[in-house]
Amino acid sequence: MRKKLKISHLYLIVVFLILYTPIFYLIYYSFNSSGTMHHFEGFTLDWYKEVFADTRLLIIVLNTIVIALFSAAISTIIGVFGALAIYYAKRKQIKNALLTLNNVLIVSPDVIIGASFLILFTIVGIQLGFTSVLLSHIAFSVPIVVLMVLPKLQEMSPTLVDAARDLGANSWDVLTKVILPYITPGIFAGFFMALTYSLDDFAVTFFVTGNGFSTLSVEIYSRARQGISLSINALSTLLFLFTITLVIGYYFITQRSQRSSAVGGRK
Amino acid sequence: MNDRVIIRFEHVTKQYDDDPPVLDDVSFEMERGKFYTLLGPSGCGKTTILRLIAGFIEPTKGNIYFNGKLMNGVPANKRQVNTVFQDYALFPHLNVFENVAFGLRIKNLDKKTIETKVREALRFVNLEGYENREIHEMSGGQRQRVAIARAIVNEPEVLLLDEPLSALDLKLRTEMQYELRELQRRLGITFIFVTHDQEEALAMSDEIFVLNKGKIEQRGTPKDIYDEPINRFVADFIGESNIIPGKMLADFSVEFAGKQFECVDHGFEPNEPVDIVIRPEDLEITTREQGKLQVRVDSILFRGVHYELCCYDDNGNEWLVHSTKKAEVGEEIGLYFEPEAIHVMRRVETKENRGGER
Ligand SMILES: Nc1ncnc2c1ncn2[C@@H]1O[C@H](COP(=O)(O)OP(=O)(O)OP(=O)(O)O)[C@@H](O)[C@H]1O
Ligand SMILES: [Mg+2]
Repeated sequence: MRKKLKISHLYLIVVFLILYTPIFYLIYYSFNSSGTMHHFEGFTLDWYKEVFADTRLLIIVLNTIVIALFSAAISTIIGVFGALAIYYAKRKQIKNALLTLNNVLIVSPDVIIGASFLILFTIVGIQLGFTSVLLSHIAFSVPIVVLMVLPKLQEMSPTLVDAARDLGANSWDVLTKVILPYITPGIFAGFFMALTYSLDDFAVTFFVTGNGFSTLSVEIYSRARQGISLSINALSTLLFLFTITLVIGYYFITQRSQRSSAVGGRK
Repeated sequence: MNDRVIIRFEHVTKQYDDDPPVLDDVSFEMERGKFYTLLGPSGCGKTTILRLIAGFIEPTKGNIYFNGKLMNGVPANKRQVNTVFQDYALFPHLNVFENVAFGLRIKNLDKKTIETKVREALRFVNLEGYENREIHEMSGGQRQRVAIARAIVNEPEVLLLDEPLSALDLKLRTEMQYELRELQRRLGITFIFVTHDQEEALAMSDEIFVLNKGKIEQRGTPKDIYDEPINRFVADFIGESNIIPGKMLADFSVEFAGKQFECVDHGFEPNEPVDIVIRPEDLEITTREQGKLQVRVDSILFRGVHYELCCYDDNGNEWLVHSTKKAEVGEEIGLYFEPEAIHVMRRVETKENRGGER
């Protein structure tokens, strides 16, 4: 028993080492003064300075954040109503069909989604740039939000809605005073997921950017292709830290929702 | 029409899809200010009746009247009734005060009125000082009282309670039975209480409706129902009893267990087959010679206040006896009972009754 435990621990450690080593390697050399990634000469913050001096890069960072916030906010709104629609679908077949369509979007490869958006935007005649990136980010975030919100809805006891109606609430009151407050943790979780997905996204964005507009991941990719500069390491490090912060935020939100639903629900 | 009547069901049927009807042509009236209990086994349609009154569902056929006004099509939020749900359905994101205030806030009452009314309602259910507690910090019994306060603060004319005590332990449950009954007297409004516990029904109600498979088998005061069950189902459901097939020989004379007995029932056809009921507590243990019936003790159980004996007569009928006297297993004893203890029921040859199961 003890031995088994040790082996499983060892296994986990190895896996995490493999997964995280490249990232820490990259972070480590972002402080290297020699400018290469194989010989650590001395500690420096020059690369970070370079990043903050690069206005083009800063504008791209800003773009990325604006896209992420907008797409997360809009897709959260759409996703919540989508989840409500699925929840209230009367016929079981319709409900399952909607849910399946939603899940297919989540598992289908980004490349296909990106390519199909490219085709769509070209046909409809939307210029590639801010709008196209925003639209495509909203599109791939909505299913994620639906997936985060729907379980909260399903876990809600239907008598809660009955109780509200019993106390005189009309449909609007039921939605705003009972359902939305109840699923708030799911909504936040969905928002954060959408935010991280949008910040991360490379494949879809790569297809639909253009016209001088770019996001961080695309920019890092194109710079990495041009040749190594450790400012990319510095940038990646910052991005990594930002994502970690988001994940921790997300963790605390789900923690809180778990606690409240554990005690709030049934006896 | 009688103006004491507050709720009237007129040939109400409720059916989902092509399933057999959940409620089958039910008609009844309920009066203002009384404590009614709907009693019946699981799935008999008790909750369905409450949901029809509350307006969460609409009848497939028939009419429901409230204060003489037709309620069909009137949505739940426009009805003068409030419900205490089986799982209480308190809003987990609101604290005790806000839960109770919910209905008043919907009505847009001013802050001061809400404050006074909520405090008053909480005092009514003995929950003063709990205003700022979260729901998850309340015990089961306290939650139930919050649910009641949330309902009565709206001053409904009818309060519907769907098995509100089923989640509580025995002691708390008995306490709450008294409290609920007392509350109903103080408020003077109609309570419609659902339970599948016959003792609870007998203890609390002005009137009991015994339901079975979407029909009302019998309605009456607890005493009526207990002493004069109309058929085998009711007799069996309401407390433990001995139900034995017999034959009505003539008025005041009945035959069962191979013997002839004097009784107080009359008005049956000569030789009409009947079911007779004798409650276990009406049977007395005596010697074989003095007893009206001779039985052999098969098993004995100590039940606290009395012994419960399971006996068999020579014809193989089972007799349950509650007695403070003890007997030995295997002992041959006699059972004595007064003619008034025998209750004769007409046998209705329906599927349910013939099968004899609950
Ligand atoms: N939405 C529904 N669709 C189909 N059948 C339903 C629906 N709601 C209730 N029923 C059926 O109606 C019947 C009566 O249900 P109801 O909830 O009134 O029972 P009950 O007497 O309250 O039972 P319990 O004591 O278990 O609460 C059950 O057989 C149930 O399966
Ligand atoms: Mg029920």
